[in-house]
Amino acid sequence: MSAVSAAPVVTENARPAWTRRPKIDQWICWWTIPIFYNLFGLIFVVLTRVMPPPRPDITPEQIVAFFETHSLTIRIGFAMLMFFIGFASVANGLIALQIKRMSVSPAFAYAYIGALVVGGLPGCLLPAFAFVAGAFRPDRDPQIMVMLYDWCLLSFVGSLGCFCTQNMVLALAIFLDKNDILPKWLAYMSIWMIVTELLASPVFIFKSGPLAWNGSISFYVGTAVFVVWEFAIIRLLYVAIKNQSPAEQIQD
Amino acid sequence: MANTQTAEVNAGGTTTRAHLPSNKDMWVFVLGDLVIFSSYFIIFEIYRHQQRQLFLSAQQHLSLNIGVVNTLVLLASSWFVAQSVQRTRAGEYERAMRLTVGGGLCGVVFILLKAYEWSTKIGHGLTFGSNDFFMFYYMLTGVHLFHVALGLVFLGVVFFELRNPKLRRVSMVETGATYWHMVDLLWVVIFALMYVMR
Amino acid sequence: MDLRPQWISLWLVPFFGAILLFVFVAFPGFLPPMSPEMTAEQVADFYAKNTTMIRFSMIVFNLCAIMMIPFFMVIVVQIKRMSLPSHVLAYSYLAAAATGATLFAIADIFWLIAAYRPGRDPQLILLLNDMAWLIFIAPVGAFVVQNLCLALAVYLDTRPQPIFPRWVAYFSVLTAVAMTPAACAVIFKSGPLAWDGAISFWLRIGAFALNIAVMFFVVRAAISRQAAEQAVKTESPATVTDAKVTR
Repeated sequence: MSAVSAAPVVTENARPAWTRRPKIDQWICWWTIPIFYNLFGLIFVVLTRVMPPPRPDITPEQIVAFFETHSLTIRIGFAMLMFFIGFASVANGLIALQIKRMSVSPAFAYAYIGALVVGGLPGCLLPAFAFVAGAFRPDRDPQIMVMLYDWCLLSFVGSLGCFCTQNMVLALAIFLDKNDILPKWLAYMSIWMIVTELLASPVFIFKSGPLAWNGSISFYVGTAVFVVWEFAIIRLLYVAIKNQSPAEQIQD
Repeated sequence: MANTQTAEVNAGGTTTRAHLPSNKDMWVFVLGDLVIFSSYFIIFEIYRHQQRQLFLSAQQHLSLNIGVVNTLVLLASSWFVAQSVQRTRAGEYERAMRLTVGGGLCGVVFILLKAYEWSTKIGHGLTFGSNDFFMFYYMLTGVHLFHVALGLVFLGVVFFELRNPKLRRVSMVETGATYWHMVDLLWVVIFALMYVMR
Repeated sequence: MDLRPQWISLWLVPFFGAILLFVFVAFPGFLPPMSPEMTAEQVADFYAKNTTMIRFSMIVFNLCAIMMIPFFMVIVVQIKRMSLPSHVLAYSYLAAAATGATLFAIADIFWLIAAYRPGRDPQLILLLNDMAWLIFIAPVGAFVVQNLCLALAVYLDTRPQPIFPRWVAYFSVLTAVAMTPAACAVIFKSGPLAWDGAISFWLRIGAFALNIAVMFFVVRAAISRQAAEQAVKTESPATVTDAKVTR
């Protein structure tokens, strides 16, 4: 084996003071979350028109017109998503770390990461590609345009199991945790999230009504619950990091 | 589940001051759940208003008898669970455990009856996608069934904690009871909306 | 601790990297890269004329590309050895790596589906080809965030002897910056930002490949140092130990 080269020794005052703040890595990670979700709102609501979703029960001509009208903003919005979606991994890593602080086996922390790696793909990025393909070439065969439309919205609203698993392991970890890292009521809210996923499963059946992908129950109530949960977890993570002692030993 | 901030029962003693039963976390859950369910009920009412005839005629297919029996079963289970809270407060843990099991068994009976009811409806060709009324029927009773199943898990936790002298707490039993009563209340509303109201 | 899994994971890189480089050149659609402006007929024609080579190269990509994952996980382990306030950056890196690899695997499948039935409606082949290219080029966020997490970790590492030298942080940020503009491949059909353009194709892929190559040597040095530290510890247990405790 070749001679081992030593990495240069760094003196303490070579780095700025902010790098020595306690838990600085977690704080930087935490800040990406509210920034990401505001951008998420801009991308999905304003630019790409996925939230709230356009109706399933329109004609192929209307679907083609939708893609033609919004082609530019869909492409710009999802170009942004291509970059910013990476930060979902940071949020997941942060929550996984807080789960590791709990008095339970780290299996749930890793399961949380695993479930949301799945969730990011059929639940977010792949639907984006379907809409991009439609916006990229709105002159495709109308049947294909309809399929792309269906693909995006079914996948986005109808990705279910990954979020069920994510919320289940989070809820279980919180219930079993004796260290009170996160409050029990967050666990109950995570149960609501599971219920909203159950109530999104009919989107694959209905093209109109409250249980379609744009339905009052499958989409609107579900999204309202999600927004409340997201606000809660952003706040609770802040409190959890703040109350964490810098000297705390976290299980490996 | 976390402890309450109030006085706990000592073996054989009673709580010495009035307190809000169960902990605040469960109340967050119960109140939030009621809000969410209310939104479903309101949406149901809107659709019913728009399709009075359809809903009225579809409703005829529901068996009022099974609905009534299910309601009585859940009311009985709530009675068991409420009694179990009283016994725990009085320190009679053995009886409390048996009452909890009683409540849980009623819950199981409810689930079995519901499964039977669904299978007869499906046998008659009345499925999830048949019409708007039955869409709501399966949806509301299905979500409620999920809550019943979850309630059985909570009651199971209560039972196991009552069994272990080191884990016994009134707050835990109250928490389970609060949730169970909510499940019962939700069923009463569903029963009224879907089976009874014309 | 037995470091052999790390050594093995490391040496997977040059071995499979060479194969991946070979099939990158072999795939008829990369040199030069296919244009987004090709018509459905032209795309269908391309797939019909190059079916064998497309299938061969993409099957090999399918088998070999994910062999990079153990290497990324060695980096996760090395991040965990750094003196950082917590392991959060290691977990974020892990999640991002898994996401990025999955995306490549999906793009690969789209190329293969497009090449499966040459008689398919050209509109469908065009769609499959679009999907493959867009998913291959555009979702840079995963690898970008991987690099940003690594950069921050290296920068914050307070070990007297850092796990990775400080310049790796700057290099990682540079990689991220070089790859970011490729996200715009979803917007344009021509020009440098289109999926066949100088920025979205050449710069993006070049930066990625360079990053892997450089990190190979960086990680190799780090594992060597780790082995040396372990040797010192077993010889004289009372002396300097790894700063493994999370602060």
